[in-house]
Amino acid sequence: MTTLDRIAPARPNRLSGFAARALKRPAFLAGFAILGASLLLALFPAAIAPYDPLAFDMTAIQQGPSLAHPFGTDGFGRDVLSRVIWAYRVDMQMAFFATVFAMLIGLTTGALVGFYGGIADAIFGRVVDAVITFPFLVLVIAIVAVLGPGLVNMYVAITAVNWVYYARLTRAEIMAQKAQDYAAAARVLGYSDARIIFRHLLPNAISPVIVYWMTDMALAILLGSSLGYLGLGAQPPAAEWGVLIAEGRNFIMTAWWISLMPGIAIVVTGLGFSLLGDSLADLLRPKGR
Amino acid sequence: MKKMIMPLLAAVFLTAPMAMPATAVERGGAMSFARYDDSVLIDPVWAERNPDIWMVTNLYDTLLRNGEKGALEPGLAEKHEVSADGKTITLTLRQGVKFSDGSALSAGDVVFSLERARNPDGPWGNLLASVTGVKAEGSTVTLSLKQPDPTILSVLATFNTGIVPKAAYEKMDGANDQEKAAAFYAAGPVTSGPFMLKEHQKGSRMVFVRNPNYWRNGEDGKPLPYLDEVDFEIIPDDATRILKLQSGEVDGAEFIPFSRVAELSADPNLDMKLFPSSRIIYAPINSRETKADGSKNPLADKRVRQALNYATDKSAIIRLVTFDTGMPMTSLMPAATTYHAGSEPLYPYDPARAQALLKEAGIEGGLDITLTTLAGSADDSTLFTALQQMWQGIGVNLKVEQVDSPTRGEKNRSGTFDIHTYGWANDINDPAQVTSWLGYYKHRQAVGTGWNNAEFNTLFETSMTETDPEKRREEYKKMQEIYAEEAPLLFLYETPFAVALAKSVRDYVQSPLGANDFSTAWKSK
Amino acid sequence: MPSAAYLLSRLLQIVPTFLLVMVFIFLFVRLLPGDPAIAMAEAKASDQQLAEIRERMGLNEPLAVQFGYFVKNTVTGDLGRSILMKRPVAEVILERLPVTVYLSLYAVALSVLVAAPLALFAATRANGPADIAIRGLFQVGLSMPVFYIGLVLLTVLGAKLRLFPVGGYGRSFIDNLYHLALPALSIALYTSAILMRNLRASLVEVLDSEFVQFARAKGLPRRIVLTRHVLRNALVSAVTLLGLSIGNLMSGTLVTETVFAVPGVGRLMLEAIFARDYPLIQGLTLTFAVIVSLTFLATDIVQSWLDPRLRQA
Repeated sequence: MTTLDRIAPARPNRLSGFAARALKRPAFLAGFAILGASLLLALFPAAIAPYDPLAFDMTAIQQGPSLAHPFGTDGFGRDVLSRVIWAYRVDMQMAFFATVFAMLIGLTTGALVGFYGGIADAIFGRVVDAVITFPFLVLVIAIVAVLGPGLVNMYVAITAVNWVYYARLTRAEIMAQKAQDYAAAARVLGYSDARIIFRHLLPNAISPVIVYWMTDMALAILLGSSLGYLGLGAQPPAAEWGVLIAEGRNFIMTAWWISLMPGIAIVVTGLGFSLLGDSLADLLRPKGR
Repeated sequence: MKKMIMPLLAAVFLTAPMAMPATAVERGGAMSFARYDDSVLIDPVWAERNPDIWMVTNLYDTLLRNGEKGALEPGLAEKHEVSADGKTITLTLRQGVKFSDGSALSAGDVVFSLERARNPDGPWGNLLASVTGVKAEGSTVTLSLKQPDPTILSVLATFNTGIVPKAAYEKMDGANDQEKAAAFYAAGPVTSGPFMLKEHQKGSRMVFVRNPNYWRNGEDGKPLPYLDEVDFEIIPDDATRILKLQSGEVDGAEFIPFSRVAELSADPNLDMKLFPSSRIIYAPINSRETKADGSKNPLADKRVRQALNYATDKSAIIRLVTFDTGMPMTSLMPAATTYHAGSEPLYPYDPARAQALLKEAGIEGGLDITLTTLAGSADDSTLFTALQQMWQGIGVNLKVEQVDSPTRGEKNRSGTFDIHTYGWANDINDPAQVTSWLGYYKHRQAVGTGWNNAEFNTLFETSMTETDPEKRREEYKKMQEIYAEEAPLLFLYETPFAVALAKSVRDYVQSPLGANDFSTAWKSK
Repeated sequence: MPSAAYLLSRLLQIVPTFLLVMVFIFLFVRLLPGDPAIAMAEAKASDQQLAEIRERMGLNEPLAVQFGYFVKNTVTGDLGRSILMKRPVAEVILERLPVTVYLSLYAVALSVLVAAPLALFAATRANGPADIAIRGLFQVGLSMPVFYIGLVLLTVLGAKLRLFPVGGYGRSFIDNLYHLALPALSIALYTSAILMRNLRASLVEVLDSEFVQFARAKGLPRRIVLTRHVLRNALVSAVTLLGLSIGNLMSGTLVTETVFAVPGVGRLMLEAIFARDYPLIQGLTLTFAVIVSLTFLATDIVQSWLDPRLRQA
């Protein structure tokens, strides 16, 4: 979960024909469908899940997949399918809240240092160097150690580290845009700095950031569920995929479905984000390359 | 009957198993054992966490030993005598006992070890607070006490008074005793117990080998231990630890999660052991008149605390959390403790009575209570879910607050909680420790509940200098009755130590205090 | 070999970065509520012990001076005493570090072994069905958390098929090739997915490039073109990528060491966090930062050695 898995900055493109081209791509359609379904599950778990995710049923303990319980039941007779569905709410929230503030802070900071340069930019460069010197997970759990385990603290910890990556990306894009003719023209026209940055440069620089955001949400789910598994993220009895896998860990030889099913949910959702991210990157990339 | 002289012969018979063994013991071989956590420093005085404490007596023998049913047996001292005024203890050392390096164990080593153990900086120094001096004369050691101390003999059978060799220990460098202890341990210590430390790769493995000079004899009339070697592997993850056992990579695994006990009991290759423990799980109830924010505390009313206890279906909780391996609490102290009194589970499930008590206490129209639990604890979250469902029935709305362990400790100290989860295990085979912790106000305000009962406190103070065992038993009986009636706790359950062994391993024991005892374990080939 | 001047300038670049890293770690304990000395001491530390810690950390001095103490202590290898282990932090870390280094190198070796042949295979058949299948497989690999990969391997290869031990650490170098196979593979499956994706892309680019086309046109055998030109270029990008993914690798060891009960610094970090052993957490965070920046440095050097053009930049 670091610098590597970042997508090459792409240039913005006109939206005309975008939808038409997008619909011709199976990868885009698949990603869109997966995320759409995930979003539905996250928004309306109560309507979709067949059982109460927390209710114990001592008459149905550790039952394998069946018609009544398609994903089986866990050690307390709770329906695994219902728990996986309710976990969509937590994990999709994680994908969003762990990244959105980092993106907003990163966009703003990156735009400002990219536009003004100078000493702020030099300091920013050092901060980036220092932050990427820590393994992402190590830094995040060190911050969680100070704040204490839990979802909100996890968002804070991830944001505190992650904004740097967005800022770096935005800065590079803004620098590129600044060199373009239209930016010089805006200056000549006497527009204010704020107007140039936020009305002209940023809209042109934003699409690689958005593409990166898609991939990053997949990474946030991986990271969040890892923290949940380690006991540093979401806390039981809340249903979260990492927590569910940790709960099923003890029964992996006798009741494999308890930990297998949430794992599949992670993979499928992650795949949805990457498919969408990759195809957006391709679609937004200028033609002729 | 002021004098207590240990009948020597009876003790010797007690150490032998009750029934003749079906198979003769086999000597030799190595046993491998997967532990949940590693030891840091196995030293009688500086052992602080359970993984340290529970290993000490494998390396260092004590003057007295805990035998069956809490009775004391002779150890390195073959005889002990308490003076008529209860202020002098005279111990006669066993002749011919040697340390692992072959040097003789003398009264000088005992004085040295007990003086070390009295160090008030050490975590267990207060157990010997009544001792004013230790003297040696030939093979006799005399302890002088400030006042009679009914717990002192048990302390002499507790890990912290394990005997270390003075000469070898004093050769070590270190600014203070703690550093010397670390150096002594690191150098591969000379020991008085059944085993010696051969190797310790921190965090990974530890190897004990047989002490050839150990004094106790086994069933075959030759010196213990039977095993040549015990290999410990540190596997913190429960599931991995069990997999290691099931795949035959180790011969034993401790701390089996209760959820797996039934499955492992059914495994034909394994022997699933549930050793009785002194471990209790309970929940202190804030019993102060006012809450920390100054508002009136409904839990100050004993009827409300009783109601919550009646509204708690212990057998359901025992089934959910311990998978029926636990037992309901029958008194404030674990049933394996000396002077435990109480044969019936406290507060059997009776929601109607709970409702009546709440009404009597003037609680109408619901009661909001917060349960403080440990973040990351699956047991706590199960307990909360179950309590929430059970208490809904009597109009109690239970909310949860998840904190980490230091925060929970802080809340306990400052009284900023309604009810929180807690656990306890005895470190010493005597009721004073647990009774003081749970009920004596002057010791941390009765486990942080703020429960301050004059009669109970006086009884406890009297019992602390009571040397007549029958009177002491009476005082403890009375204290347990008061405590049960007053209910400053949610009484939950006792749990056993769950250890799974390969079928070839025999006679491994974990004591109610938790000590891992490999001295009589053996392996059939 | 890279010139001495290049090495020196590259080393000097590390200094400001590292000062900032030290500032982060320094602030870490000071962000905790309450007295930092209490956070850094054992629960039952005596007043005298607390006074010693204050002295060592210079807590009565201004913040800047305290930072000076911190840098001085750190540079002299004094990282404080671990609350959990009751020993000097530096000693505890040095004891566990070789395990993690072994595991990481093992994982790197496995990722190259997995990714390189597959990348080459896929690149030479770019956009064919085999290429698409391989890429799809690795996309799935990238969507799997490392702890989950570990659990699956442990259950299937360890517990069910009994091919490998289910956890723990061996006694010798050779023994560990066997003992650490599953944890190393868990990390490798994730890193090799990244490696394979990038390696394939750069191979496709090289195969399309003019000099390869030219070499082919000259009639050089396909195998020689591949080894002499293509692989050498791919090697540069592989080294760069592996070097840059050291952070990923370290995050991976943290998780797998926990799943497989491997006694390295990753598991130690989690133990320290659950025990709130702040001196140890601080020391470990610093250790990880040192590992990462040394790896970045080594990557730069190897890269400039493999590709002399970079040295001018």
